[in-house]
Amino acid sequence: MAEDLQLQSYVGKSFPIKPKLKPKAKTLSQTPESKYWTSFKPHQIPNLVSSIQSLDFSPNPPHLFAAAHSTSLTLFSSKTFTQHSVINSFKDVVTCSSFRSDGSLLAASDVSGLVQVFDVKTRTPLRRLRSHARPVRFVKYPFLDKLHLVSGGDDGVVKYWDVAGESVLSNLLGHKDYVRCGDCSPVNSEVFVTGSYDHTVKLWDVRVENSKSVMEVNHGKPIEDVMFLPSGGLLATAGGNSVKIWDLIGGGKMVYSMENHNKTVTSICTGRVGKEGGDEAMQYRILSVALDGYMKVFNFGKMKVTHSMRFPAPLMSVEFSPDCMTRVVGSSNGIIFAGRTKKKENEEPVVGNFWSLGRVEENRKPTLRPSYYRYFQRGQSEKPKEWDYVVARPKKVKLGEHDKLLKKFRHKEALVSVLNGKNPENVVAVMEELVPRRKLLKCVSNLDNEELGLLLGFMQKYSTAPRYSGLLMGLMKKVLETRAEDIKSSDALKGHIRNLKRSIEEEIRIQQYLQEIQGIISPLLRIAGRGI
Amino acid sequence: MIRGGRSYVSSPPAFSNDAKRLLVCTANTVSIFSTSTALQISSMEGHTAPVTTVIVVPASSPANNILCYCWTASLDGTIRYWDFSVPELLKTINIKIPIYSMVIPSLLGLPADSNEKQPNLFAYVSLKDTRETISKKHKSKSEIPIGQICKCNLTESRLVGGVTLAETKVSEPITISSSGKYLGITKHQRLSIWKVPDTETERVVLRKITLHHTKRMTVHAFHPIQRIVAAGDSTGRILIWRGFGDKTFASGEGLVGGKIMSNDEDKPGVRDNDDVDSCTTWHWHSSEVNVLFFSSDGAYLYSGGKEGVLVVWQLNTGRKKFLPRIGSPLLYYTVSPDPSLSSISCADNQIHLLKMPSLEILKSISGIKFSCSLLEEYEGFGSGVAFDNSSALVALRTDKYCVQFYSLFDDRGISEVKRECRLSERARSPLLLVQVCERNHQPGDDVTVVVTLVALSQDGSMMSTVEVKLAEEGIGGLVCLKFWASESQNKKFTLSTIIYEPHRDACISAVAFHPTRRAAVSSSYGGDFKVWVCNDELEQKDVMLQSSGWTCHAVGSYKKKAITAAAFSADGSTLAIAAETVITLWDPDKNVLVAVIGESLTPIVMLSFVGNSEYLVAASWGSKPQLSVWTMSKLSVYWSYMLRVEAVACAADLSSFAALALFPKSSKCQESIGTTFQGRDGVILLFNATDPVPVSTWSARKAKGGALSFLQVGHSSIEENISGGKPPQTLLAYMNSDHEYVLFDPYGEEIHELNVIPQKDLVDPEERRQFGYASIYGELPEFDLKRDQMSWVPSVPSEKPWETIFSGSSHNLPPLTKLCSAFLESLLEKRTAVVE
Repeated sequence: MAEDLQLQSYVGKSFPIKPKLKPKAKTLSQTPESKYWTSFKPHQIPNLVSSIQSLDFSPNPPHLFAAAHSTSLTLFSSKTFTQHSVINSFKDVVTCSSFRSDGSLLAASDVSGLVQVFDVKTRTPLRRLRSHARPVRFVKYPFLDKLHLVSGGDDGVVKYWDVAGESVLSNLLGHKDYVRCGDCSPVNSEVFVTGSYDHTVKLWDVRVENSKSVMEVNHGKPIEDVMFLPSGGLLATAGGNSVKIWDLIGGGKMVYSMENHNKTVTSICTGRVGKEGGDEAMQYRILSVALDGYMKVFNFGKMKVTHSMRFPAPLMSVEFSPDCMTRVVGSSNGIIFAGRTKKKENEEPVVGNFWSLGRVEENRKPTLRPSYYRYFQRGQSEKPKEWDYVVARPKKVKLGEHDKLLKKFRHKEALVSVLNGKNPENVVAVMEELVPRRKLLKCVSNLDNEELGLLLGFMQKYSTAPRYSGLLMGLMKKVLETRAEDIKSSDALKGHIRNLKRSIEEEIRIQQYLQEIQGIISPLLRIAGRGI
Repeated sequence: MIRGGRSYVSSPPAFSNDAKRLLVCTANTVSIFSTSTALQISSMEGHTAPVTTVIVVPASSPANNILCYCWTASLDGTIRYWDFSVPELLKTINIKIPIYSMVIPSLLGLPADSNEKQPNLFAYVSLKDTRETISKKHKSKSEIPIGQICKCNLTESRLVGGVTLAETKVSEPITISSSGKYLGITKHQRLSIWKVPDTETERVVLRKITLHHTKRMTVHAFHPIQRIVAAGDSTGRILIWRGFGDKTFASGEGLVGGKIMSNDEDKPGVRDNDDVDSCTTWHWHSSEVNVLFFSSDGAYLYSGGKEGVLVVWQLNTGRKKFLPRIGSPLLYYTVSPDPSLSSISCADNQIHLLKMPSLEILKSISGIKFSCSLLEEYEGFGSGVAFDNSSALVALRTDKYCVQFYSLFDDRGISEVKRECRLSERARSPLLLVQVCERNHQPGDDVTVVVTLVALSQDGSMMSTVEVKLAEEGIGGLVCLKFWASESQNKKFTLSTIIYEPHRDACISAVAFHPTRRAAVSSSYGGDFKVWVCNDELEQKDVMLQSSGWTCHAVGSYKKKAITAAAFSADGSTLAIAAETVITLWDPDKNVLVAVIGESLTPIVMLSFVGNSEYLVAASWGSKPQLSVWTMSKLSVYWSYMLRVEAVACAADLSSFAALALFPKSSKCQESIGTTFQGRDGVILLFNATDPVPVSTWSARKAKGGALSFLQVGHSSIEENISGGKPPQTLLAYMNSDHEYVLFDPYGEEIHELNVIPQKDLVDPEERRQFGYASIYGELPEFDLKRDQMSWVPSVPSEKPWETIFSGSSHNLPPLTKLCSAFLESLLEKRTAVVE
């Protein structure tokens, strides 16, 4: 019986034309993770004055972020990437900024050596901390500490501040060069690290009396950025072309060195991947940006670079929002490459609430009666169970406009309609279908001037593409032979022909170059082969 | 010996009176199919040449529906009368002239009173006259009319002498109106119509009219009620003449109604003052019309042609309805006594059963596909036939971009015992089609997309096809190599890999599968060969196991010569590649040239290893054809013949091989062969590889384009057919260019005549459904006057009732109460007078 059906399906069946199949790549082009990272919809914030020295997200929703550039600090909305407010009360270039853990205060440092604390809402400077003799490069609020600040600068001194009294509680000495970066431990409010151009990262504890560093690791290159990993036991340092991961609990042992960047890594931050509560719980990644314009995503669980993105400018800073929705990258020429993803997690708690409400409602759900409209719709949207035998409706063959025209043997109309459709694969497929019907050249000779222009435009665009050139080159010759008169008489068509000529010449040039390269390589290969 | 693969569409089929069976002319036999299952039930064998006509004797009343008599006519010059329910031959009339077409008008007319003496039954036959007497009359040779329309007295079994209705250059089919009153033939641009006389005798003169047209007419049909005739011509026009023969035929009928033609202006569209009222022309078909038929009520006209579209015309308005995309040219349309069933025969050897008003295809009876017509340049590709040795399947390329799988054993029913399990297979096998490329049927004039090669792996689980799209003036040609894989059970092939232009734009000369591994080799005229490997074998350890695909493993070439043939040895360790005239041996794994052996005179087209032995058979065509056997141990030619070999088959485990050789074409040979072999143009030779003397030979017809293969015989399939004796281990299958095939045991001393048991009725009783009036009200009771009279007889009172009351059969006796009184009364003395 099934064979009968099958046989009958041949009778009266119509096949839509299909473009040639493309070879599939052997490896998946996108891993789930790179799919995640590319799901951030790109958005550019241009026209900031100079390089983006630092970026910082507010820990509070709606997660404003502060971008330090030139002598101002701009707050942006992380949802729309529009400018929220600007703080301009700086005398010199702003180097670093940090939100307090409750998000209401913002500390910023500048090249003049001044550290200022602002109210985020009113943008007024509340405190001015002046003690550094040289430019301050790093300022940070300790973890869950509202009263103190840590700062470091080109004078090589790390200072621990009492913000309210505008006084330095301790000067931490030890660095022999500029202090460029630092981070506070995510588990302890008294522990922090600073990195310096003397190639070392020092771990400080303010509870230690003699103001000496607790631990010191040597990166080997001037350190551009340092960061605690979320566990607090691991440390990541960026300097030179490498990012290194250190085990602090194990006594400052280097765990891994990632050397995937070609130029100096300028900034690192932690990002998160995966769904909350899914089978893959949230996983942390290191995002690193460098002057070579690449942002790399590093999985420090598997010690593997999982994604890499290229930006068209040297990158200076990177930050990932606490709600995992926004990623911002600052470049050296004043552009912020922001990205925002759509997330369902936002709705999930809402759905959860509804669900609990829904269960209550379900108990009270009135039984359907024939007087209800829904009574007649009941069961229509029912999904088949696993064990149900599904009587499938025969799939309707969807035919495009050109297919319908081909079925009616209106070949020229089919060709024109597909040429208007802008899908080169379909155009070539229709041409390939016309060949066995022996109608392609007839179609060409029937085209009027406007349609011929369309065809020539298509040819100019695609005749040098390797996938189509086999057919299109031959066809182009025939078109030029048969329609020479029409082309001569029309200026528009002449223009098309000129463009065509240009693209052909370019292709010939490319081919010559390739042959030259082949000429260079093949003796080398031969020699190499002989050597073996 | 098993024969099969016949054409179902050589002549129009016929329905039985109850429309449950369809009688199909299949070469020398008439096969009977059930219309409900589309399976063959039985066959009538007896004719010695192809059967051309089958006519079922119609039932005069619904009760006689079960009558199963039919007349058949054949090219062997006999007309036979059968009871096809049994099936049994009842009568043979030998008229010794090939019959192309036959009609019997009196069968269709009103049934005569049965009491009268049966008049002679006359048939009109279209003959192909080969008698020498004709040529004496006509001096110039080209004028010889071959076809003749004659009358034949079926009752007395002879041709009616002297009555020749027409002579034609070719034998034309005769058409008859459904009432049996008119019959006609088309003769080039003329249509001749005769009126059948009401009372047929031998010497009655038939009146004739001729209708003219400017184009060659191909087909015509009569209206069932009115005097309308429709004809289709070679340009696709349909002409409808209304009221033909008013003048000529009217005088005899007497019911013309006084409207005899007065002047010529009233005849629109009529040519040459023909005897018709009017002529209208419809034009939809783009090429010649092959099918023309009026519906039984005369309201619709069905037409069809090369486009493969059945068109239904409303006769009065000319409105059209279509059944499109039948997929191949239509040949015949047959109506059944059941008004809801009809059949169309298609050129691809299929008969579709249509549900009538809705034009819905209910069932299809499909035979083996015919070999497709190829262009000259692609004829060198051999027959396009691949055999699956183990399961006795043959894969054929067809011209509808399909490959058909046909089970050789199951063309006929083989055994009764195994029917249950074989039934499913049979239902499957002729139907299995693989659509090689998804294209709609194009009713173009020339074939532009051709499946040129089909190859099957030894276990039948993999198939590869090569299709070529011919270029239009040098643009857009494409060669495509496809690999298919089948699920183990149902032989349904799914596409695995498509390779566009596997050897750039060069054509592929051969594809061969590795005997044990999942690998194949393809060779091209462009001068290289490629070894393909199925992917999943290589990467099984990979975690992300991809869907299996074929990738190129190695490319090789020999002095840039065209590679013309390729073959793997039986263990797969050696790959033999023919580079034009040289045979080269390769290691398929490492792609290393192992040895080069000798040269033939002309390019080699076929290579084959002989079983497990060290011999290699090569065949070359061209001006000096050769069949040569090479030994691998000495790398030299062992023996050779100058023979043009069409096909070579090697048994898997034996050291013998069979070759199909064509007779040489030189005229001298041709004459001698023509007399001795009677149209046989080839010979099958069975060789032992070590011995140049053939073990046995058979001659064959239509050998050009034929194919040969050894088949492994499973014990289940054929064991029980051979009464006594050991079953043969291998059978040799020979398929000729028309795809008719024969299977036989090449080692038997005599050809075993396998007991072919005709299948019994496969129709189960519940399928005997009723239709029309009977479906609503049930069968009408037979209304018989005589019985009433008979039953009335005993109750007539008579003087001596005891003499009559018990006469007659017991069930005709009147009731006992009535009998008793009469009987007792008869015993009593009757008083003549009233006692006072």
